[in-house]
Amino acid sequence: MTATEVTTPAAPEDGAPLVVFEAVTKRFPGIVANDSVDLTLEAGEIHALIGENGAGKSTLMRVLYGMYPPDGGRILVKGQEVKVSSPRVAISLGIGMVHQHFVLVDRFTVTENIILGAEGGPVLDVGDAEHKIAELAESYGFAIDPHRRIEELSVGQQQRVEILKALYRGVDLLILDEPTAVLTPSEAGELFDNLRKLRGDGKTIVFISHKLDEVLEIADRITVLRRGRVVGATRPQESSKNKLAEMMVGRPVLFQLDKPEVQVGEPVLKVEEVGLGNHLNGVSLEVRAGEILGVAGVEGNGQRELAETLIGLRTPDSGRFSLAGEDVTGLSVARLRKLGVGFVPEDRHHRGLVLDMTLWENSVLGRQSETEYSSRGGVLAIRKIKELASRLVEAFDVRARGITVPAATLSGGNQQKLILARELDDEPVLLIAHQPTRGLDVGAIEFVWRQLLDQKAAGRSVLLISAELDEIYELSDRILTIYEGRISGEYPSDAPPEEVGVGMTGGRAEAGAGATVTEL
Amino acid sequence: MATAVSGAPKRSRSSRLELIGGQILAFVGAALFAGVIGGIIIVLYGENPLFVYATVLNYATARPEDIAQVAENATPLIFSGLAVAVAFKAGMFNIGVEGQYIIGMLTAAIAALYLDRLPGVLLVPAVVLSAVLGAAAWAAIPAILKVKTGAHEVVTTIMMNGIAISLVAWAILNPLKSTGEQSVDLRTNLFPGKALMPSLAEPLGLPSSVHLTLLFPIALLACALVWFFLYRTRLGYEVRAVGSSSGSAEAGGISIGAAQIKVFLISGVLAGFVGLNHLLGDKGYLGNNYEVGLGFAGIAVAFLGRNHPVGIALSALLIGVLIRGEDGIALSTELPTEVLIILQGVLILSVVVAYELVRRTVARRQLREEAVVEAAAPAEA
Repeated sequence: MTATEVTTPAAPEDGAPLVVFEAVTKRFPGIVANDSVDLTLEAGEIHALIGENGAGKSTLMRVLYGMYPPDGGRILVKGQEVKVSSPRVAISLGIGMVHQHFVLVDRFTVTENIILGAEGGPVLDVGDAEHKIAELAESYGFAIDPHRRIEELSVGQQQRVEILKALYRGVDLLILDEPTAVLTPSEAGELFDNLRKLRGDGKTIVFISHKLDEVLEIADRITVLRRGRVVGATRPQESSKNKLAEMMVGRPVLFQLDKPEVQVGEPVLKVEEVGLGNHLNGVSLEVRAGEILGVAGVEGNGQRELAETLIGLRTPDSGRFSLAGEDVTGLSVARLRKLGVGFVPEDRHHRGLVLDMTLWENSVLGRQSETEYSSRGGVLAIRKIKELASRLVEAFDVRARGITVPAATLSGGNQQKLILARELDDEPVLLIAHQPTRGLDVGAIEFVWRQLLDQKAAGRSVLLISAELDEIYELSDRILTIYEGRISGEYPSDAPPEEVGVGMTGGRAEAGAGATVTEL
Repeated sequence: MATAVSGAPKRSRSSRLELIGGQILAFVGAALFAGVIGGIIIVLYGENPLFVYATVLNYATARPEDIAQVAENATPLIFSGLAVAVAFKAGMFNIGVEGQYIIGMLTAAIAALYLDRLPGVLLVPAVVLSAVLGAAAWAAIPAILKVKTGAHEVVTTIMMNGIAISLVAWAILNPLKSTGEQSVDLRTNLFPGKALMPSLAEPLGLPSSVHLTLLFPIALLACALVWFFLYRTRLGYEVRAVGSSSGSAEAGGISIGAAQIKVFLISGVLAGFVGLNHLLGDKGYLGNNYEVGLGFAGIAVAFLGRNHPVGIALSALLIGVLIRGEDGIALSTELPTEVLIILQGVLILSVVVAYELVRRTVARRQLREEAVVEAAAPAEA
């Protein structure tokens, strides 16, 4: 399974590599996103590009895909220097890219989406396109019905549509940006099978990721970026997870944090048969003092609704939930916060911070009514709030130019630290943490995890809702799986991941072709 | 680690100064641009732009009474600009300031006509209170409709404007119709003198043709109060949070609906003042020839002033200068006064574009400096 064993029809006659980056530099104001990067992509290989967030992986590939013009260096495709001025040019050169966030029209069918932008004339020949797409899907073993609408497909299937979109345009090189971020373990497995088939057919694949296990499994060659520079290149058989992590971060990384031993106490949160529209369907669970309960599941299975219900943003249609024995169903966010519930939202920009406001204004959000921070007459105690902000910023090492800059100017990791600092500062009895490390780099993830473990060590509770199994395993004392708004399984923290993966797909080993899974 | 923070406030204050300085620069640049465009139009009319602009400036500033005239022009615009701005801070577009101030004039007229037994010291406040309550009540309807039913405030306030105009027309034709026989205009009876707004013309030694009243200093006070409300009170904080990110505000325990209703009422209160200078400082009755469009002008003023109370006061004064300049143009040149309206339009458009350019530049620089701060001290757990 090495790159060398592959000889492909896509290889150019003169034997030049498929793509060569020579000293490619891309600057954004004040940041060098790619600093004189040299990289060679051989035809017919799966080349993993790894690095922390902000290391420049996606930027480099977007330069190749014509989304950003490079500021320096040159790109050669099949030995010819090229100027990729737009994605259209990239596609004509045989380069396709599947973005992390899909760009599909929900109400269009698979076929309509695939031909969108490549209609080939004012009159659509949908029948012909459909035929071609079905053939293409067949040849790579993609189980996709070209007549289905996108909104009826699972995330894994939508991703296949995106890949087909590129293949339909005849690309030889396929760039996948964090393709497994939205997939279950079994869907990821299917993706890998598909990628191997594509490689067998001579296609070249660039696989952008920060999940090291996957990279070691699928890649032929691995290039590591750090702060815009190539810091190493290796092959899976010559490397290990720890070695890769050290290259990425620039220092040794612990993958195993010590879980503090805590005497688990009384139930703090008790959720009984909570239902909410189509989203939640009789969810019951219990979190005890000094416990981290992990709720694992593929995104979009009711996690957001569950988290938002428990912090009071939504009112359940049925069922009840209680906090330390007291029924709190239907209470407002303000009341629940007063009772000691903290909330780390999955979407820090739309549920966590007011980006236009300053750090000090954000650091009091949720506590602005406390008598310490505003008088009974409703006048803000600005000095006190600024003291609070300084304390939070210092305790959680939020890197900013001061507390009077807008929250929008912080990096994702620092924004998340600010939210955590705020939510943990008044020692909540229960912290609802939804995807607390989304989009963070390894260093910041470690920091967030430690904070959650500290919360538990102090005898308080955490409800951790995450689609990242690693994270669930790293922190949880017990694991629940959620699927289509139901709790589909409960597992001890040492259950094998495959078993939990089964729960994440509703109790069946295969995700199925988007069909609703039978009742448990 | 803490070094990243300590010593930083000073630098960020300078970046705020930079933003304010940039905005002033943007304004001047945009004004020059508008002047050039206006100049081209004036040249096409065969006049000398420099002479025209000098005329405008001369008419607006030459004598104390000209300056007073500008202040008089600015008075209603400050109130309507503030009314638009506070709603905008909560993410709402109050297109209904127009209807709200018209209703405010109606309720003020009713108070002035029917509470005439009160002494002046009580009557004037009662008339003002009546205007404010009327306007706020008119604002409450779309606010409640929005929060309870989701009806968009832009649509409902526009409808309410139409209703307000018709209601006033009906009122001065029927129950409030003047009882005097010679009146040509359709209007109410004259208000008692003690119901009128105390004039500043006489104390300042200005001719009585200037209708500068106590409302001008009240308007400036309102700017200060609105600033305090937005940036120093809890409700103002919540309102701004709702306006910039309703989702995060909600997750922070802020009731979006309550904040929106409250701020719309405040907007209505401010709208209540808009028509008062015209009603109580100038006319002394409510007629069918009352001044219209002040509410819509407020949208432009709020835009020009970046929804900030100080900016609103300044831009209202600027518009006041242009309005005064129209008289000069009519008297000293052959130009149609609409030239100044075109100038206003170009000014507003170019200022909006220029502000946006400055905002992006400064934001980009901030982001850049932020990246430097982070890079200087790599993240450690």
